[in-house]
Amino acid sequence: MPTRELKDQTAIAGVGNSPYGRRMMRSPIDLAAEAIANALDDAGLARDDLDGMAVSFGSPIGADGDSIAPMLGLNLRAFTQTWAHGRFTASCIQWAAMVVNAGLANAVACLASISFSGIKRPKMGGSGDREGAREGGGAHGQDPVFGMTSPGAGAALVARRYFERYGANSRQLAAIPIAFRKHAVMNPIAIMRDPISADDHQKSRFVCEPLHLLDYCLINDGAACVIVTSAERARDLRKPPVYISGMQPLPAGREEFIWAYPGFGVAQQSTFDYDAGLQPVYKMADMTPSDIGALFSYDAFSILPWIALERFGFCKPGEAAAFTQNGRIELGGGLPMNTNGGLLSEGHIMGWNHQVEIVRQLRRECGPRQIKDVATIQWANAYGDSLIYRR
Amino acid sequence: MAETGYAKPLPAISSLSQPYWDGLRRHEFSLQRCDQCANVWYPPAPLCPRCWSRKFSWTTLSGRGRINSWVVFHQAYFRGFESELPYNVAEVELDEGPRLLTNLVGIANADIRAGMPVEIVFERATEEITLAKFRPRVT
Repeated sequence: MPTRELKDQTAIAGVGNSPYGRRMMRSPIDLAAEAIANALDDAGLARDDLDGMAVSFGSPIGADGDSIAPMLGLNLRAFTQTWAHGRFTASCIQWAAMVVNAGLANAVACLASISFSGIKRPKMGGSGDREGAREGGGAHGQDPVFGMTSPGAGAALVARRYFERYGANSRQLAAIPIAFRKHAVMNPIAIMRDPISADDHQKSRFVCEPLHLLDYCLINDGAACVIVTSAERARDLRKPPVYISGMQPLPAGREEFIWAYPGFGVAQQSTFDYDAGLQPVYKMADMTPSDIGALFSYDAFSILPWIALERFGFCKPGEAAAFTQNGRIELGGGLPMNTNGGLLSEGHIMGWNHQVEIVRQLRRECGPRQIKDVATIQWANAYGDSLIYRR
Repeated sequence: MAETGYAKPLPAISSLSQPYWDGLRRHEFSLQRCDQCANVWYPPAPLCPRCWSRKFSWTTLSGRGRINSWVVFHQAYFRGFESELPYNVAEVELDEGPRLLTNLVGIANADIRAGMPVEIVFERATEEITLAKFRPRVT
C-alpha cells in the first residue's frame, strides 16, 4: 500500500530566477535556462540530478517543457505541463510533490518562463483571444461576441459584483496595489519601484471599469523555478529545506468561477453566504489560519487577494475590503501579503516569483523586507487551491 | 460568413450550441430544459448538468431577467468595438435561472444598476447570426 501521508514529506530544495523586466528581448527558453540553473545552484544540485519537470505556462508566450528539456540537455523521466493560464502554480508543485513522494522522480524543477518581448502591443485578449472562442466560453468569462475579452474583464465583473453586494468601493481596493508597491520598493529585482498613492490609483485610467490600470498586473518577461525533492534529500543539500506541509487542489464545477468562491453569484454559481470553515489545506498541515505568518496570493488583478482572504477564512465574505486597510497586509502588519511586490509590482511570472519569495522569506534571506521570525507561509488563491510551507 | 460589414467577433458555434443560434435567427430565445427535472442551463451542454438526463427540450424563454453585474470597457481590444468605446458588457440573470453575458442597449453606461430588470432585444449581426442583447424593462 502506498503511503497517503504527504505532510512534510517533500520540500523546496532550491529556488532561482532570471532577471524580470520589460522588453528584455530574450527568448523564453533562454530565461528558463537561467532560472533552472540558478535553482540547481541554490540547491547544490547538478544538472544530472534533475529527473522531473512541471511547467505551468507554455508557448507561444512561455517555454514548453518538452522544448526546454532537449535544448538544455536534460533527461527527464517525469514531465508534465498545464495549459497557458496562470492558475496552475500549486497544481505543478503538488504534482511534483506527489511524484517525488511516490518514488517516480527524485528532483523536479517546477517553473514558468514568460516573454512578451516579441509582441508588438503586449496585452491579453482582443483579436488573439482564442480562449474566448472555446466551447462554453473562456475560463475568465470571455465572450468576444459582446466584446468581453481578457482575464481582467472577468476580474472586473467580480469586482463590480463585490462592490454591489458588500458596499465596498474602488478606493478601498487601492490598498492592495499600494501595499504591494511598498514591498516592491524594498525589492531590488522588482520591476515597479516607485511608491503609489490612493490618488494615483484613482486617477489611473480605467481599463475595464471598475478596474483601473493600477489594479492590473504587469506584462513582462522573466522566469522563476523551484526544485522539489524529498524532505530527507533536502536536509542534505546546500540550503535549509522549506517543507510542503499542506496542499489543497484546484477545484472545478458550476459553483466555481476562476475569480470567485462558491456562493459569490457570478457566472453559473449559486448565490449564498459562503462559509470557509476550516479549508482542507489547514487540516493536512494541522494548522489554522491563525498559524499563518504571511500570505501570498495570485494578484493578477487587485480584487483577487480580497477573494482569496475570504475564501480561506482569514475574514468573512465582504470583510476583506476593511481587513486590508491600515497596513494589515503590509510588512510589519498582522498578515503581510506578497512581500515581493506581487504580480502587480514585482512582475508577472505566473506566481512562480511568489514561490521563490516564500522560500527566501522562510530562509530569512530577504534583507530589508524580511518578515521577522516568519516560520509558516501560505500560498492561497481566489480559485481555491493552496500550499502551506514551513521552515 | 459571406456577408461583409460586420466587424465584431462572431460566435464559435458547436454542435451543442447550434440550436441556440438557430433559435435566435428566428427571434426565438431558447435554452435546453430538462424533461426530467425541469432544470434550465447555460451554456448548452450534452446533458442536464444537474440530473444527467439526456432528455431535454429546447424551450423558448421569457427573455426577461435582471442585471447581476457589469463592466465598462475603456480599452480597445477588438477593432469592431473601437468606435463604441466605452462600451458595456453585462451579466444578466434570466428569470429562468442561468446567467449570460450581453451588451445592454438603450441605456447610458452611467445609469446601469445591479438588479435592474431587462428584456431581450434581437439584434441581427449577419445573415446567419442574430445576437441576444438586452434593454431596460419598464415594470
